[in-house]
Amino acid sequence: MPKVEVPLEKWSGKVREVTLGGSGGRKGLTVGGEATLPFLSFEGAMPHPPSVAIEVSDTPASEWAAPLRQAWGDALEDPGAWAKKAAELGADLIVLRLNSAHPEQGNTGPEQAKAAAEKVLAAVNLPVVVLGPEVPEKDNEVLMAVSDLAAGQRIGLGYCMEKNYRTIAASCIANNHVALAKTPIDLNLAKQLNILISDVGLSADSIIMDPTTGALGYGLEYTYSVMERLRLAALVGDKMTAMPMFCTVGEESWRQKESKFAEGVPPTWGQHDRRSLVWEQITALALINAGADIVVLRHPKTVDAVKAAIRKLAG
Amino acid sequence: MSKFIATSAIRGAHGVVKDAEELLAQTIAEKGENTKIGFPNTAYWLPVIYGLTGHKVETLKDLKWPLEYARSLLPPVPKEKLWLPYLGETLDSGTATLFAEEAIEGLRFIRSEQPEKRNGFVCNGPIDDVQMRSWGIQMVDGRMPGFAAIVGAAKSNEVAVKIVRELQSKGLLVFLSGNVKGRSIIDQLLESGIELGYATFTVPFGTDTISAIYALGYATRAAFSFGGFTPGNARDVLLYNKFRCFAFALALGQVDDLKYATAAGAITYGFPVIADTLIPNVLPVGITRYEHVVSLPFDDIAGKDDLERAERLVQRCIEIRGVKVKVKKINIPVAYGPAFEGEVVRKANLSHEFGGKGGMCFELLQMKDMDEVQDGKIEVVGPDVDTLPLGNHPLAITVSVAGRKMQKDFEPVLERQIHHFVNGAEGIQHMGQRDITWIRFNKDSVAKGFRIKNLGDILHAKLQDDFGAIVDKVQVTLYTEKGKVAELLAKAREIYSERNVRAAGLTDESVDTYYSCTLCQSFAPTHVCVINPERVGLCGAYNWLDCRASFEINPRGPNQPVPKGAQVDTNKGEWDNVNKFVFDNTQMTHKRMTLYSLMDAPMTTCGCCECVMVLIPEANGVMIVSRDDYSMTPCGMTFTSLMGMVGGGQQTPGMMGHGKYYITSKKFIPAEGGLRRVVWMSSNLKEELTEDLKAVCERLGEPDLLDKIADEKVATTVEELMPFLETKGHPALTMPPLL
Repeated sequence: MPKVEVPLEKWSGKVREVTLGGSGGRKGLTVGGEATLPFLSFEGAMPHPPSVAIEVSDTPASEWAAPLRQAWGDALEDPGAWAKKAAELGADLIVLRLNSAHPEQGNTGPEQAKAAAEKVLAAVNLPVVVLGPEVPEKDNEVLMAVSDLAAGQRIGLGYCMEKNYRTIAASCIANNHVALAKTPIDLNLAKQLNILISDVGLSADSIIMDPTTGALGYGLEYTYSVMERLRLAALVGDKMTAMPMFCTVGEESWRQKESKFAEGVPPTWGQHDRRSLVWEQITALALINAGADIVVLRHPKTVDAVKAAIRKLAG
Repeated sequence: MSKFIATSAIRGAHGVVKDAEELLAQTIAEKGENTKIGFPNTAYWLPVIYGLTGHKVETLKDLKWPLEYARSLLPPVPKEKLWLPYLGETLDSGTATLFAEEAIEGLRFIRSEQPEKRNGFVCNGPIDDVQMRSWGIQMVDGRMPGFAAIVGAAKSNEVAVKIVRELQSKGLLVFLSGNVKGRSIIDQLLESGIELGYATFTVPFGTDTISAIYALGYATRAAFSFGGFTPGNARDVLLYNKFRCFAFALALGQVDDLKYATAAGAITYGFPVIADTLIPNVLPVGITRYEHVVSLPFDDIAGKDDLERAERLVQRCIEIRGVKVKVKKINIPVAYGPAFEGEVVRKANLSHEFGGKGGMCFELLQMKDMDEVQDGKIEVVGPDVDTLPLGNHPLAITVSVAGRKMQKDFEPVLERQIHHFVNGAEGIQHMGQRDITWIRFNKDSVAKGFRIKNLGDILHAKLQDDFGAIVDKVQVTLYTEKGKVAELLAKAREIYSERNVRAAGLTDESVDTYYSCTLCQSFAPTHVCVINPERVGLCGAYNWLDCRASFEINPRGPNQPVPKGAQVDTNKGEWDNVNKFVFDNTQMTHKRMTLYSLMDAPMTTCGCCECVMVLIPEANGVMIVSRDDYSMTPCGMTFTSLMGMVGGGQQTPGMMGHGKYYITSKKFIPAEGGLRRVVWMSSNLKEELTEDLKAVCERLGEPDLLDKIADEKVATTVEELMPFLETKGHPALTMPPLL
């Protein structure tokens, strides 16, 4: 067979390395650092394969679909127990979602947020990311409390959005945390927010971006394309798009009807528990191939499948 | 630098350093040099010393070096006859003063003399770390604009209360210290029943000048908590405060040597000092962003009484420090928002209208000096709609703005916003601009209480909110009397005409910087507009002045200055820095970009262009199709199909997107021969630009050129186009070949 020369791109930039944890008794996890597109090991280095996070909620997640509730069982009742089980099931990090702080889902305050975060931080020594309810003012209120509580443990705090980035960024500077910057599926907005956060004085090595994720069948290809463009921009040397990317895959795929419903759907859709897993897995794998550095998952079986796929891809 | 201030400050510094040395020696003698020293509830030792030098003072022994260092900073007190610039020495004295003052407060803690107790009231002393962080975050995220450190005592208790209330109403944190002949502002406020403390954002440090050091201790700790600096990087700490912490010192009452010395320390941090007594001014800009020392003798401030004078004093402090105060809500009786922008007020619902057919209405925005504009003042001269009968009435909207970063050239940029601002009000419709303004009020809105005055409220709030970076003060006067409006209109027309002349004189050669627009990179990542005075952005929405203003408003935004650099090619409009900028900002895709050529490295197109220009080889010319023209064109493609070829950030020689008004520019494809190359143009473009195009034809010496250009009414194919051009004798047919 004739020898085929593999065409190689010469990239001048690379993705920043960001470390979560690694201090205050917390295990360290470094993400990012890619000098090429995902898994092209023949072209450039990918020093840290994508990480898998498991999402836990400060509420018992009663609205979650049956397969999820069955998988987690009693652990749903307590974020600490949930996080512990997630760690045993192979999570690289834990993402705690403060759902109860949402004005329409309990409107709990900083004390409850601290209590939930304290449970998770005590239960595992993995790196932790804490996400607010995505209501800017409320996020500021609850995340400030968590930030002070976890000072020095280098947790991730999110989301920094256009409306509230200053407060969260300032608190990340003060307590040495990592900010998660979220923008709605747009390269320019993502870059602009990274610039604005850097302007406040937070080091670019403490920013992870969430370009906003769509699930399979719900804008996945659009998400994919924006992430790919962010990554390409980073590789050609744009320092303000070179932050590692974080995708809330579980949340997006499990809220679609294909994942949610066992009944009232066409029989050709097949078995619900299988279908819903496939939905989460395919979404995760697609986004990992678009450049995701952290995928946040919900179902333990997806965690296994995605980790196996990453191992294979990373060779 | 004023010799008087320098001498006083240096003398004050000598005094306080000596006091600190004596107190240290005395305390060591009494308690031993290993006695622990420090402020309560802080992890930053003596924060100013730690922040500026990195030196941790833990015991009395550790305090020796800072005081030795302070002494080494002290210059000799200037002699009577010596005359030098004293800035450096004065600032050094200021720093020495701060070290000495902090040492004294630390020693007083050991001696149980801090926090200060006075007539049963316990002053706060230094701010603890927890509170520092809480306020620090608010200063970083903008909820709190900054702090005012008041030193001394106000003219009266009422004035003291008014000053503090005014500062609080602007969201500023207020620190209190010092006295004048034994009377402190803290006494004045307590006597007036004002509650002091963290909860009310008014912190009583102490009743002597030395306690003002706590303000700088706060600023220092905030800098390394939120600036991410390591202690000891004095420069970083000071610059952080200069640019990020909007603080100032307000000296009330007589200023003695120690106050001057402390003020010099504050200036080192970039905090200006305002005094309400007669002292020399230090106006040049430098260590502080604007003036350093400003004297505003209280009784000389304009105002009907002391309370108004107090209000003006605070207003002036805010201007000097450049503190921005946000307008939270537009105070009008109808809803306001983008949802109402497209509303039409029809005849049946019409209450009052201004301008339009047979009416007289205009709007004029002008820049004034800072002291000529009273922010927030809105005045209606003449009757308002509550007394005017229904129907059409004259109206003049005159807006005066002032701002440190305002430029005369921004007047039309801001004036054009009036349309958009006024339209946001529910039931109010605005059309046109300048002297063709036409405004209609809906009956419901007037019934809800909307008045002509509210137009002023809207303009004040929106100009402050959206253009606060360039506008510090906005005043609006609305005239409704026919005679007055007519008189002002005549003057306004003179100004419009001056502006027209100015705009016409603004050429590419007359500036050395162009502006970029990367707004569309979200969908066209390899596209960048480079906007020059004689070529609008291809969407038609941004001209060079707009971009310049946009850059001032948002220095990190999509419009960045592009210094042209050396000219590579005059005719094609190619500059080396433009090329470099384009390369760096198109993901290294386009190495060159000319601004005046269609054939050689033309500007890329995002997808928003108003027109597309395409080469027609058979005619040796170009055609221009506009976005509003849906018909087939002689190149065989409609506008939509052409967009697919030219959009998305590609560089396609022979095809280019551009703005409508580029066609009338003197820089319209000069490399290819300008308008004489245009063989075909959408008829709606011809109609819209008739007057301007006729002027171009005159300028080219070919008054009948426009008639020789075909449109979709005579040709939608090359076969139809060619005979038309030949019959008309179009110049392109005999021009040098394009290919």
